Amino acid sequence: MLAIDFGPNDVVVIAGRLDAAQSAAAQAFLDQVQGKVTLDCSALEYISSAGLGVLLKTQKRLMAADGKLRLSGVNRHLRDIFEYSGFDQIFEIEPSR
Amino acid sequence: MSARPQQRRHSARDLETILGVTSALAAPFDLMTMLAEVVSAAKQVLNADRGSVWLYDDAADELVLEVATGIRPVRVPAGAGLVGACARNRQIINVPDCYADPRFDPGVDKSSGYRTRCMLTLPLVDHKDVLVGVMQVLNKGGGGVFDDHDEALATALAAQCAVALQRVRMTEAVIEGEKMRQELEMARIVQMSTLPASMPALPGYDVYGTFKPAELTGGDTFDLAALDQGLLVVLGDATGHGIAPALSVTQMQAMLRMAFRLGATLETAFKEVNNQLADTLASDRFITAFVGMLDANAHLLRFHSGGQGPILHFQAALGTCARHKPTSFPLGAMRLSALRPLVTLQMQPGDILVLLSDGIYEYHNAGGEQFGEARVEEIVRSHHGESMAQLSAILLDAIQTFAAGAPQDDDITVVLVKREPEATAHRSFERSFDAIEDIVAFTAATFADQGIDAELLPAIDFAVEELFTNMVKYSTMSSAAVRIDLARIDGGVQVTLTDYDVEPFDVTRAPDADIELPIEQRKPGGLGLHLIRRLVDSIEYEYSRESRQSRTTIRKTRAGRPDAGDAAKIGEEHARH
Repeated sequence: MLAIDFGPNDVVVIAGRLDAAQSAAAQAFLDQVQGKVTLDCSALEYISSAGLGVLLKTQKRLMAADGKLRLSGVNRHLRDIFEYSGFDQIFEIEPSR
Repeated sequence: MSARPQQRRHSARDLETILGVTSALAAPFDLMTMLAEVVSAAKQVLNADRGSVWLYDDAADELVLEVATGIRPVRVPAGAGLVGACARNRQIINVPDCYADPRFDPGVDKSSGYRTRCMLTLPLVDHKDVLVGVMQVLNKGGGGVFDDHDEALATALAAQCAVALQRVRMTEAVIEGEKMRQELEMARIVQMSTLPASMPALPGYDVYGTFKPAELTGGDTFDLAALDQGLLVVLGDATGHGIAPALSVTQMQAMLRMAFRLGATLETAFKEVNNQLADTLASDRFITAFVGMLDANAHLLRFHSGGQGPILHFQAALGTCARHKPTSFPLGAMRLSALRPLVTLQMQPGDILVLLSDGIYEYHNAGGEQFGEARVEEIVRSHHGESMAQLSAILLDAIQTFAAGAPQDDDITVVLVKREPEATAHRSFERSFDAIEDIVAFTAATFADQGIDAELLPAIDFAVEELFTNMVKYSTMSSAAVRIDLARIDGGVQVTLTDYDVEPFDVTRAPDADIELPIEQRKPGGLGLHLIRRLVDSIEYEYSRESRQSRTTIRKTRAGRPDAGDAAKIGEEHARH
C-alpha cells in the first residue's frame, strides 16, 4: 500500500511501496504539486522502475517551470536504487539520519 | 404480483415468439447488432412502439446508451433517473404515465419530438447474477399500458437478452485481448530480430549473450558486435509494460549501431542517443543501458552506463567481483548536457565482465525472495573457468532451481565478456645436464597442449637451455631442483626459471659478448646471454634475499619486439667471424 499527502510546511510525505500497482495514484497526486517541492521519503519502503518513472515525470514538469523535486529522508536501500539507476544525478537527495 | 394468474395467461403464441427470439439471440452478432436484435425482440414480444438497451459500465458505475456506431454514447450514473434506479435496485419499474412520475426526464422527448406515454424499465441480469444493463420499452401498442402479463413476459425475455449480451461483450473482450496479444507478439518479433544472430569471434576473448523473453512483457535487448572501434557491448532494459518497451529498446539498439557505424565515439553515441530518446520517449519512460567498447589489443573496456547496474567485473587474480556503478541516469530520462567521465576496466587474463538484466537479480521465488547479487557472484566465482556459454547456462539453471516453478515476470538477458586466461604449466628439473632432454620434451609438449605458436619453439628452447645450463654451471653450491614455468600469453609465450638457494646473478646485466674481437681473444662464456637478449622480446631478473631465489623470466611473441630484426643481423655478423 502507498500513502501520499501533504505534511507540515508543504512537504509531500510518501509512505509505503511505490510500485507499478501504486504508481498511478502517486502520479495523480504529484501532478498537482508546483514549484520547489520536498518529498519526504523517510517512510517510503520500496520503489520500482514504474515509481522512478513517476518521480522523473514530475521532476521534468517542475523543472520546466523553474521548480524541482527534492527527496529527503532517503534510506540506504532506496539510495542504492537511486545510485544504481543513475537517478541520483537527476534529484537532489538528502539521506536519512 | 403473483405468478399463477400470469402463467395462465401465457399463450402459445407468446411462447413461440420468445423461443424464436431466443434462437435468434444465439447467433454470433457483434455488440451493436446484438443490441438492435434485443430491442427488436422486446418490441415484438411486448408489442411496444420503441425500445432501448443501456449497458452497464462496471468500472465507471454508469449506464451507457449506444445510439449508433460512431456517435458518442449517452452516459448516466447508476442510481439516477428511471434507468439508474432500475440498475441500482435490480427491479422492474412499470410507469403507466411518465409525465406523472418525477423520475422521468422529459428532456429527451423535447429534443426528439416523440411523446413517451408509458414505459417498462427492467434490469438485465445474467445467469451469474451480473448486471449487464437495463432495457426500456415505451408506449404499448393500441394505446394501452404495460400490465402484469407484459412484466412477466419482459422478465423472461430480459433473462435471455442479458445472457446473450454478456456473451457478446465477453467475446469482444477476448477478441480485443487476442488483438493486443498479436500486436505484442509482433513487437516481440521485432525486438528479437535485432539481437545478434551469432557471437562475434574475437581472438583471446570468449563472448556470449543470451535473451529469454518473459511471456507477457519486457523490454530487454543486448548487442555484441565487432566494429571498427572495437567490440560493442550493450545491455538495455526499457521500463513499462506492453508493446512500448519492446519497441523502444529496438529503437535504441538500432540508433547505437548506426551511431557507431558512422564512427561516433562512445561519449558522442551515448549522449546523442540519450538526447534523441529524451525527445521521443513518453515523459515517464526510460531505458537503462550499458554501452561499452572493448579494445581487445590493449585489453581495455571503456563504458558508459545509463542506470544499468550492477556492473560486475570478475577479477581472476583476486577471485572476486568488483562492482561498478552507472555513469549516468537512464537513457531518455532527460537530455544530457554534460556527461561524467567514462569508466575504463583493465581486462586481465581470466577476467570476466558480467552484465545481467534486473530480470535475473529480481527474479523471485514463491516465497517472494529475490535471486539477488550474492548468488550471481557466487556462481561466477565458482564457474569462471567454464566457457561463457556454459557459465550462462549454469546461471540460468540456478535461477530455475531457485524459482522452483515461480513464473518469469520480466525479460532475462545475460552478457558475458571474458578475456581468456593464459594457460600455464610448470615442472621442476634436477640440476644436471642430464635434465636437458626432459626440459626440451616438456617445452614441446606444453607448446602443443596450449596451442602456442610452434614458430616460437626454437628460440625458447635455446633460451631455456642456456639459462638452465648457466644455473647448473654457476650455482654449484645448490642442490635444489630448478623450476620452469611456461605460460601462453597473448600472441606468444612466457617462461620463468626459478633457481633456489643461490647467490644473485643478474643475467640482464651481464655484458654483451664483444663479437668484434678476433677469435683468439674471444672467451667461451657470455655468448649465450648475448643471443638470448636478441632472440626473445624481453628478459627480466628478480632475486629474493630472504628465500635466496633467482627468477628469470623471458617472453617471446610472434609479433616480437620493435627491434627484433637485430637478432638476425647479429647472427649474420657472428657467422662472419
